[in-house]
Amino acid sequence: MSDLIRASLDHCVKCTICESFCPVSQVTPLFPGPKYAGPQAERYRGVGVSPDSSIDYCSGCGICTTVCPQDVKIAEINSRARAKLWEERGIPLRNQLIARPSVLGRLGNPVAPLANWALHNRAVRTVVQSVLGIHRDAPMPRFAGRTFQKRSRTHVAAADAPAVVYFHGCGTNFYEPILGEMVVAVLEHNGFRVIIPRQDCCGLPLQSNGNFPAARSYVRRLVANLAPYAHQGLPIVANSTSCGLMLKREAHEILGMEDEDLKAVSGSMFDLMEFLLRLHERGELRTDFGSLPLTVPYHAPCQQRGHGIGKPALDLLALVPDLDAIELEVDCCGIAGTYGLKKEKYEISMAVGNRLFDDIRATGSDIAACDSETCRWQIAHGADVSAVHPVELLHRAYGLDTNGSRRAHAGAAGRRKRSAS
Amino acid sequence: MIYDTLVVGAGLAGLTTALRLTEQGQKVVIVARGVGATHLAPATVDVLGYLGEERVDSPASALTTLLSDVPGHPYGRVSREQLGASLEWFCRRLERLGYAGGLDHNRLFPTAIGVARPSALAPRTMLGGDLRDGGRFLFVGLRGFKDFHPSLLADNLAHARLPAPVTARALELEPPAERRGDLSGRLLARRFDSGELTDWLVRALQGRVEAEERVGLPPVLGLRRADETLADLENRLERRVFEVPTLPPSIPGMRLYDTLTAALRRAGARLVINAAVVGAQAHDGQIESVQVASAATTMSYRTHSVVLASGGFASGGLTLDSRGAARETVFGLRVAGVPDEGATRFVAGYFDAQPLSRAGVAVDDLLRPTGRDGGPVYRNLHAAGAILAGAVPWKEKSGTGISVATGYAAADAILAPSALGVSGSIG
Amino acid sequence: MSSLEADVLVIGGGSTGAGVVRDAALRGFSTILVERRDLVDGTTGRFHGLLHSGGRYAVKDPSAAVECIAENRILRRVAADCVEDTGGLFVATPWDDPDYGDLFVKGCEATGVPAEEIPVAEALRREPRLNPEIRRAFAVPDAALDPWKLVWGCARSAEQHGARILPYHRVLDLEVVDQRVVGALVRDEHSGEEFRIHSKVVVNAAGAWAGQIATLAGCVVNVRAGMGVMIAMNHRIVNSAVNRLKFPADGDILLPLRTACVIGTTDVFVPDPDDTAIRQDAVDLLLDEGEKLVPGFREARALHAWAGVRPLFEETHDVAETRDVTRSHALLDHLAREGVAGFVTITGGKTTTFRLMAEVAVDAVCQQLGVERRCTTAEAPLPGSESHTLYGLDSRLAAREPVPQSEEIICECELITRSRLEQTIKRRATTSLDDIRRLLRLAMGPCQGGFCIYRATGILHHGDRVDHTEANRALVSFLEERWKGLHPILHGDQLRQARFDDWIFQGILDVEHLPA
Repeated sequence: MSDLIRASLDHCVKCTICESFCPVSQVTPLFPGPKYAGPQAERYRGVGVSPDSSIDYCSGCGICTTVCPQDVKIAEINSRARAKLWEERGIPLRNQLIARPSVLGRLGNPVAPLANWALHNRAVRTVVQSVLGIHRDAPMPRFAGRTFQKRSRTHVAAADAPAVVYFHGCGTNFYEPILGEMVVAVLEHNGFRVIIPRQDCCGLPLQSNGNFPAARSYVRRLVANLAPYAHQGLPIVANSTSCGLMLKREAHEILGMEDEDLKAVSGSMFDLMEFLLRLHERGELRTDFGSLPLTVPYHAPCQQRGHGIGKPALDLLALVPDLDAIELEVDCCGIAGTYGLKKEKYEISMAVGNRLFDDIRATGSDIAACDSETCRWQIAHGADVSAVHPVELLHRAYGLDTNGSRRAHAGAAGRRKRSAS
Repeated sequence: MIYDTLVVGAGLAGLTTALRLTEQGQKVVIVARGVGATHLAPATVDVLGYLGEERVDSPASALTTLLSDVPGHPYGRVSREQLGASLEWFCRRLERLGYAGGLDHNRLFPTAIGVARPSALAPRTMLGGDLRDGGRFLFVGLRGFKDFHPSLLADNLAHARLPAPVTARALELEPPAERRGDLSGRLLARRFDSGELTDWLVRALQGRVEAEERVGLPPVLGLRRADETLADLENRLERRVFEVPTLPPSIPGMRLYDTLTAALRRAGARLVINAAVVGAQAHDGQIESVQVASAATTMSYRTHSVVLASGGFASGGLTLDSRGAARETVFGLRVAGVPDEGATRFVAGYFDAQPLSRAGVAVDDLLRPTGRDGGPVYRNLHAAGAILAGAVPWKEKSGTGISVATGYAAADAILAPSALGVSGSIG
Repeated sequence: MSSLEADVLVIGGGSTGAGVVRDAALRGFSTILVERRDLVDGTTGRFHGLLHSGGRYAVKDPSAAVECIAENRILRRVAADCVEDTGGLFVATPWDDPDYGDLFVKGCEATGVPAEEIPVAEALRREPRLNPEIRRAFAVPDAALDPWKLVWGCARSAEQHGARILPYHRVLDLEVVDQRVVGALVRDEHSGEEFRIHSKVVVNAAGAWAGQIATLAGCVVNVRAGMGVMIAMNHRIVNSAVNRLKFPADGDILLPLRTACVIGTTDVFVPDPDDTAIRQDAVDLLLDEGEKLVPGFREARALHAWAGVRPLFEETHDVAETRDVTRSHALLDHLAREGVAGFVTITGGKTTTFRLMAEVAVDAVCQQLGVERRCTTAEAPLPGSESHTLYGLDSRLAAREPVPQSEEIICECELITRSRLEQTIKRRATTSLDDIRRLLRLAMGPCQGGFCIYRATGILHHGDRVDHTEANRALVSFLEERWKGLHPILHGDQLRQARFDDWIFQGILDVEHLPA
């Protein structure tokens, strides 16, 4: 597999489409752009130690591979080159830490109030910045206290309904368990029995920080949890679009993992919005949405576009009466998983997201929608709006939002759009 | 759910056909491996620039000769009315970018190396560069933007074959440094959009542009506000200002792509990027569904019609293997215009006519790919753009014209009642 | 008519000629080198770049093998910057005679070529793209030699010692007075000016064209031109020089050359060394042989094809003692052979042994002039190689760090900055983009000039020495020349690239309609 990724550089005709989309190279000269760092530089690599430390400034957003018309695996080539660089240098403690959100989650949740206070206290963050290198202004989520896994233990599912397996990911588990409850509610509303297997991190942050062996063992463990269901032919849905992509594609293409269980899980994996849209295309989605008169700018995360499924969230939001979902043109919010947390990359990350934040603010809305949790936290931070997963809007439109004030998201509470009349 | 039409390819032909169908009420999905060639091309619509060695002044007049010289040319599958209508439609839909022109008279624009190149339609930002009436020109380069060499441009233009005399000179300016090294078109466009470079440029050129001189700039005047920036420059300099297209990435092309895709989205079409067609299921001579690979899964889209707009060899819509066999990569259609097995595919003179140049998919009058018997391979499959056989668009300067005209005509063929009758309604 | 004078006039600007002019200049002779085209445009610029360990000759041609390993070690020291230590492998594919391996072992022992048998698994670990069915593998100290750096390095070194290097100067005639060659009549191909060069000794280092030069002095040198076709592949499918473990034959080497790798070669006699059109059957043979070494080779991207002509010397002269040091190269002292003084020919050979050939030739010059001067080229490093650090593949990439976007990069594929390009144009004082290409590798990457050639033309013109017609001509002739190496291998990804480049040059720039 590594040969196929590297060999894909042969398809590059230097057309520069990737470069015209790369959000990072536009805001800093430290990263030369995907065409340069990927298929071009790869011709110079492979002998001796990594020659180009600038590859570390690639954020791994993956937009380049998504837009490349020649099927060059640019982001994958970059990921591998970055991993090799870090393997030679030794991965710093900071990267090892932030690459393990489930470990941090298990440490922080039992002491959630204290941990949340600390992570949002400027003095503490200043110390953390100088000791660890995590930028003191970088957006941090809040520990929820009680994980989604724990909450879902007491959940009772309908017996006779068709089953769907829920891969909720670390974000939902440790930081946004209410979102997880909303996902379950929406699926049940559509007649599904939701199975919530034991599960842990998918290993994506370990991969993007260059720790391939650790990432692989996380993938193996998670696949072991999910594969039995995949072999039964059950669909698996993921609300974290980046984690879903990790299992669909990146574990195979970037980590080079080939086993049958992973293949089965990949083939059964669906992004949540993708799954709901497919239901709709079959005429099986309940469309009993109430009116939701809101203007909601929608940002499709880079990793969502990597799925190659279009933007199903927009198609679904279009079904909600009076909801005006605005497709944002700007490609990247800048956080790129753990990239924007890093001291030396925070400014770049904010510069990348700047136009997105401006565009969101220009809509005048207090609420934005986005399928990835790290992007939501970045958007809330940069645009000062509430950022929700699109399923939360469906949940509300279905009228399942019985506790009207509950919100799963970070940032300010939403305000309803004033009606025209 | 069944789509009305599935379009393969997000280049100009695919976007044209999709938009035309969508605005006529169809439910359309576009699937594409990546972003199309609009990002690479100058964003003019070139109907016909050269007939052999002769530069064409009027495509309307030259088309008859073209079609008698090259009977298999894609324009032969489009009626004169459709061709004219497609250009008018294009100008209307892209009003925001101010496209102007038509079939009757080509405009002449300088290329980045100073050749006068004919185009039928051009966006507002380029119209000021029309050379037909001659005049005085100042070309301004920006130090750090390596894809524009104004002194070579000016020297060549002064010696070009032109209908009216032209004088041209060059100037190179150094933009205020944001960084050293390469300034990409994208970076410059951003800085123009924010207004920062507009102010600087006006100050830098004030008093240096002679009377009646038109100012030619590299094509970087912005992505979002290029027209406002152009107007601003013209007002403050009191001179006509225009963009000169150059090597990819094409900022004007990106504006075109953004405008078309925004219109598609507003009209309710679906655009799926990073998705490749891997198969089709047909029954009784009709495609019923198209299988599209996304990350790890294959999605099946049921559809009434399909338009193949996957481009030619440059886009991967056609390939040639190491043994000289040509293939159409999406549906495995017959490729016409390929020399016989063993015969030369390329001759030694770079500028000579190359045997493989006109290869592509041959189509009938409804733009449906045909088999050896001349009948359509599928009743509901149409093709448009660079995938079509019969043209040498980079030589004729006809690429974007073929894309718009055949994209439009493919939509017409699908919308026409007779076509629906032939393809049959599926419930 | 004007004239120049020198002790030694060297004819031929390939590795042999450059080696001779350097050796002679270092020994204190006044020297002039003339080459009818650009330096390194003949055989040396068109070979596969293998710095032989000698393994290839260990069985078939032992004395050549001995020479190769000796010169290999010397060049790694004195021409370090031109040499990349890729290492080499000899591998037996299922198509190769299984008995050859033992012959190979014996031959290497006998000739002193270090060859170590390694497990097949180890060979596959080093080269993951190799055919997993290989049977045996040996590691040898082959290396990759950059011929342009080598020849220009020698030329520069010679100039530092007073030599004059004159590319684009064609020898029209040799002046023979009383059975002695006293000089040559030469034409500057750029200006058209003809002038004389008076010399004490002329060294004919014209390679495959040596016969044509010898005729001008009334001498006979029977050099046959053996044309060999090579194909560069877009990226390094292998990182070491991979040889087939068999008697030398067509298409049995695949080796890295800077950022590309090369499959070669064929061997076809051609009557005219200047007529080297590439035929389809040669291309097919190379791709098929490549497929044997690397499964999937035919799907890999072929970048460029070219043909070089080997000078194959055949002795037909019935002379009792020919100063034929080895069978591999031949030194012909025409005083001894035909009684013509002041004229020696050094021919045959291979680039790996160029320094030795030059030493032998300049020794003959010393003999003719009745002086004893020691050769120092085995010790004296070339300019740029003083630190004896071997060249690294990643050198150009690493040079752009830590802030890659700190300079304008004109040729992105080969990472050539604007300042480097401008310096080279100025120093070389040329109007030919092809000349620049040979010095910098301009346009030798995947896009084959699609982007950089317009930029380079603009920069060439901007320098003021070159007006727009010369600039246009440089661009157009570059495109025409480049096409010769593209059209024989145009398929797959490279066809896609070529078509895309057509869109740039013809569709966007419309270069066909540049003013004449």
